[in-house]
This record gives sequence, C-alpha cells and structure tokens, in this order.
Amino acid sequence: MTEILQYVQKDGFFHRLAPLTKILFVIIVGTMSIVSTSITFLVSVIIALLVIAFIAGLHREVLRQFLLIAVMSVILIFITVITLPGGTTLFVIGGIIPITTGGLLIGIIMTLRFAVLITAIQLFVLSTQPRDLVHTLERMKVPADYTLMFVIALRFIPTLQIEGHRIHEAQLARGYNPGSGVGGKIRSVAPVMIPLVSNSLARSNVLGLTIDLRGYRTKVRTPLRERHLKGLDYFVIVMLVLVGVAFFVFDAYAAGLI
Amino acid sequence: MIRLESVSYAYPHTGKPALTNLSLSIGKGQCVMITGPSGSGKTTLCLASAGILAHEYGGKKEGTVTIDGRDVKSYKDLSDIASNLGIVFDDPEAQLIFTTVEEEILSALERRGLRVDEIEDRLRVIMEMTKLTALKDRAPHTLSGGQKQRLVLAVTLALETGILILDEPTSELDEHGTNGILEILKGLKAQGRTILIVEHKFLRMREIVDTLVVMEDGRIRASGAPDEVIRDQGMQKIVMPDFSGIRERNRGDGVTGIPSPLIRVHGLSHTYGEDIHALFDIDLTISSGEFIAIVGENGSGKTTLIKHFNGLLKATGGSVSVSGKDAAKTTITELARDVGLVFQNPDHMFFADTVREEVAFGVDNLGIPDRDVVIDHALTRVRLTHAKDLYPRWLSRGERQRLAIACVLAMKPAVIALDEPTTGLDGKEAREVMEVLKELQLAGHTVIIVTHSKEIARDCADRVITMENGKIISDILTPGERP
Repeated sequence: MTEILQYVQKDGFFHRLAPLTKILFVIIVGTMSIVSTSITFLVSVIIALLVIAFIAGLHREVLRQFLLIAVMSVILIFITVITLPGGTTLFVIGGIIPITTGGLLIGIIMTLRFAVLITAIQLFVLSTQPRDLVHTLERMKVPADYTLMFVIALRFIPTLQIEGHRIHEAQLARGYNPGSGVGGKIRSVAPVMIPLVSNSLARSNVLGLTIDLRGYRTKVRTPLRERHLKGLDYFVIVMLVLVGVAFFVFDAYAAGLI
Repeated sequence: MIRLESVSYAYPHTGKPALTNLSLSIGKGQCVMITGPSGSGKTTLCLASAGILAHEYGGKKEGTVTIDGRDVKSYKDLSDIASNLGIVFDDPEAQLIFTTVEEEILSALERRGLRVDEIEDRLRVIMEMTKLTALKDRAPHTLSGGQKQRLVLAVTLALETGILILDEPTSELDEHGTNGILEILKGLKAQGRTILIVEHKFLRMREIVDTLVVMEDGRIRASGAPDEVIRDQGMQKIVMPDFSGIRERNRGDGVTGIPSPLIRVHGLSHTYGEDIHALFDIDLTISSGEFIAIVGENGSGKTTLIKHFNGLLKATGGSVSVSGKDAAKTTITELARDVGLVFQNPDHMFFADTVREEVAFGVDNLGIPDRDVVIDHALTRVRLTHAKDLYPRWLSRGERQRLAIACVLAMKPAVIALDEPTTGLDGKEAREVMEVLKELQLAGHTVIIVTHSKEIARDCADRVITMENGKIISDILTPGERP
C-alpha cells in the first residue's frame, strides 16, 4: 500500500531546514501560485519544486502523487470547461457543450495551482518530524490543541488506510459485492465506513487520554534537539523573500499598478 | 500504593453498573493480575485505579480511590497523576501519535521538566530495556504487534512512575511477543515497581504474579495468592483455559460419508509487492469434515495462507482449488459460498443496528433461501438467541466473537476458517468458542483455525499444521491416544 503524506527519514537538504523556514516556504510559494495567472510562471514553479525534490532526495515520493494530480486535473479541467465557458469556442460536443479557450485556460491554471500547492505541502510534510512541527507552532503561539489535531490527522492516514482495507476484506468475505466504479463506491459506504468510523471514535477516547497523560497540556518542555535557524535556513529565507518580492513587483507592474 | 474502597461506577450512556462495591488494595512492589470474562469490568477497574474515571468521565461514581495515599480527586489533572502512575491501554495503535519510535518516546520525556542530558540518558536506557534501539527510526504503524506493544510500554516507562497499569498487553501477541513483554515486566518488578496487569495468560505470567484477582459482573469474585484462588474449580476454569475432551467429543457419530478433498493447494507461493515473500511452494489437501489448526509465530504466513482459500489473495505462483473450482478464476463472492472466513478482530465487520440484521447481511448477499430460519439457526448454534435484538457493539468481546462466527456460518460454507478466534477471551469464553466450532465440525463443516495456542491445537484439532517463514514445517494428525 502506498503511503500518503508520511514523514520519510532521510538526510536531504530539505530535512536539514528548520520547520519555520519550511512553513515560510509553503506560504510564499502557495501565495505566489494563487495570485499568478501565468501558465509559464506556474509551470516553472512546478519544475523548480521538482528540482528541489530531486536535490532533497524526495523525488520518488513526490512523483508518486503525480498520478493523483493527473486524475484530478482531468476532472477539474472537465468541470471548468463545461461550467465556465468564455473566449472563443473551439468546438461543440454533442451540439450542447461548447469547448472554449477561456474554460480551458481557467481549468489549466487551476490544475497547475493545485499541483504547486500539493507538491509544496508534500515537500514540507515528508521532511518535517511532527515533533519539530509541534515545537515550532508552539513557539508561534498556535494553541496545542490545533497543532496536535493537525499532527494526529496526518499520523492516522496510514492507520485508516490499513484498517479500511481490512474492513473491506472482511465484508468481501461475507459475500459482499458492491461492484466497481462510482456506484460501487457509494454502495460500499455503509458496510465499510460505519465500522471504520465506529472504531476510530472508540480509538479517539484512548488517544485523548494518552495526550493528557503525556503532559501535553502542561506548558513545561525541555528544549531538546531544537531546530534553530542555521546558515542554510537564513540563505533559503533570504532567497524566498527575494523571489517573493520580485514576483509581486513584477505582477503589480504587469497589472499596471506601478 | 493504590487503594479502592467500596467503588461503584455506572457509565453515563448505559446506566448499567460496571463496577459494584469493589474494594482492592495494592501494596508497594506488588504485582496484581486481574482476569475474568470480557465485559466483567477489568478495563473500568484500570480506569478507576488510574483516577481517570474521577477526572475524565461522567456517570455515577461512589467510593474512594487513593494513589500513593492521596485521594485521586486531590490531584490537579491527569498529567499530575501521570507523575506517579503510568497506564498502558489495550489498543497500542491509539497510543502512538508520532512518526518514529524515538520521537514517540521523546514526546513523553520532554514534558517532565528534566535536563537535556537526563533525557538522552533515559531514552537510551529505555530503548535498550525494551529492545527498540535498532528500530528507533521506524514509523510506529509499520511495526509488528509485539513491537508496538513494547513501544507503548517504553513510552509509559519513560515517565519513570512507581506504579504501572497494563490492560491486556499480550492479548494479540504470539509466544515470542509475550515473552518479550514478560521479560520487561520481570525487570520492572525487580526494580520494585508496583504493577497492576489485566491478563488472560495466567500460566505465562504466574512467576511474577503475587495476587490474582478474578472479576465477574463488576465485582471481585476471588482474590488472593494465585495457588489459593485456583484451588476453587470454578475459578480455575476462568483462569486457566482447559480444552480437554473437545476433540474426542462424539467422535465418529456425526460425520457421515467418506471424506472427500475440498481444498487442494499445489505449489502455492505468495509475494507481497516486489520482494516480501510470504509463502513458498505450499502443498496441502484439506478434506471435508476435518478440524485443522494452523500454528506458527506472527509473520509465518498463516493468515496469508487462509486468505487464498476464499480468494482475498490470489496466488503469485502455483494454484489453489476449492470444491474443484480454480480460486484464481473464481470471484470472492462465489468462493464465499464454499469458504467462510472469520477475521481476528470482529469489530472489523459490524455495521448493522441489531445482531439479527448483522447475520442477515451475508445471507442476503448470497441470496440463501429460508432466510429467517437460517439466521435463527446460526444464532442458536453460537448461543446468541438472547441477544438477537441488541446492538452488536454492545456485546462483550466473547459474544462479538461468536456473532462473527454466526455471520459466516449463516452463509452455509462447507469450510469455516478462523483467524485467532480466542483473542482477548478468558478460559471459559475460549472454551465456549471452541465447543461451538467442534459442534460445527460434527454438523459436517470443515473447520480451520489459525492460533497461537498450543493447548487449543493439541486438545481441539484433529490435524495440526505448523508454519515457519512461509513454509509448512510439519503436518501431523493428532494421535488419538488420549482416552
């Protein structure tokens, strides 16, 4: 089973960055991709992210998600093309649905934005230990409850995947044949989702107690194996800020604001 | 160290008393083992002793609990209690929050106000003691059951508390895993820690147990030195599983006809992914009316093998045929008519509102005629007629296990295969399950069980298959030399 969004133990340059630097990285890259409407720019950001992933030794994990992104883009482009017509009509499907350049353009831009966001967040999650993340967010005065919620949500993805698979097998063994495709998925909701949710709820009780017993509500913490900003971090932060400023100046200029 | 005085408790949603007028005193350095049927209040007792009921739960509470001479209510909160007492709950998965073994242990150490060098020191000692050093960078969800349990224990040990409460730490472990936990507990006892442990494996734990407590219906039925407690016949049945006489029952009367081969396995191999070889070149024939036990350590390929019988896994080499049909070319739904598979954790299948509806699910899926008669018959077989309108998840573990068997039984498969059917059950409940299975064999079914228990294999099965590293290393008919 392929694992989604799990920390990978490695010694790449991205792993060596402090969590704060990486949070900044996600914010700046994310904002730029949301603001930008240039296909050329978005494609070059994706290429840059892939180059970073390659240098950081995370290209295998990141590339694995591209299948998901590809499937999502097809759906996304399809929806935008039929719901947001604009520009010149290229051709008409079945005499009803017009395929327009405007629709296609918006679809492609949306897809590229998602690809940037998914890849950037993935680089962050794959290379940051949840403990370090908890510490960083704690220092940024984010309440412990929210931080732990985020960490636990990530941590239980593989557990739910494994459990869902087991439940599915157990129901198959009871002669259950929901069929394939979308219809099958909908029919299999009750027999698979009900045990999955019930078991998870039972588990959340123990999880809550565990967090309390480990003292996560006390504000005490020994500063242990801290991830302070180092030379590499400062370098990356300066680069990020430069790229960010350049982007916004250029964008404002292109929009005729300056 | 822990003292309970006339403690009564009822959970808010059921209102049914979970503990009734219970008193218990655990002295410093003592090891107390609690046992009893599922649903008898063992876990609730753990929660009460740890002060968790007092601080985190609603419901009706009476009596007093003291830890280290102080009333639990006088502790500020759970993390205050946690500086005196550590508790390990029965589901290891729910207690592992982080992504590596080392990170998990550190998460408990860093909240104690210790110095950095103290923490690094303790981390090293604890990982050595629980034999986790080599696994320090592994993700918790990739560990085996035994390793997970050792990690949860390690995290609790990190708190260095004088008192430890463990809720069924070995129930899903094989012999090897159980030994690992026992060794750690021996070490802790030698250090003078006070241990309260809920367990079913009395014989394995005997050497460390000072006081044995047997619970039933939220009360203490017996308590005292182990040898004295088990002198009572009734208590002995609960504490020490006894399966004698099951195999011999009605031998030869019930089974009619000449056994004919049902499952034929030829040169079966299975490889997960690219390089995990789970089964190598297995040859096996299973005939009608057999009662087979498949034994072996965790990871020896037992579950992988039985999943081939109903098509959940397809052979990557060799072949499996069931009732003459090639398993590789037959759908799982079709094979479910011939082979019923009951998984280790019954909670993986329950989703209906009542026990009856739960059983009906499989019957309806296969379109079996005389639906209602078949369902009632299955519930009678597993002795659950009294519970037919209850919500499945409210049943005790023993009852849920039998319900899981009923769900499969009602689909009328010739072969019923069960993965660890006695997990989490006390001696009496385990015997009940095995008796039900024996009756199924006498009614003409072929029964295959995967088990860690040598006693079950010896006393219940007619044929014992032992697996190791994906191979069958022995396949013997149990000699009928016992009277």
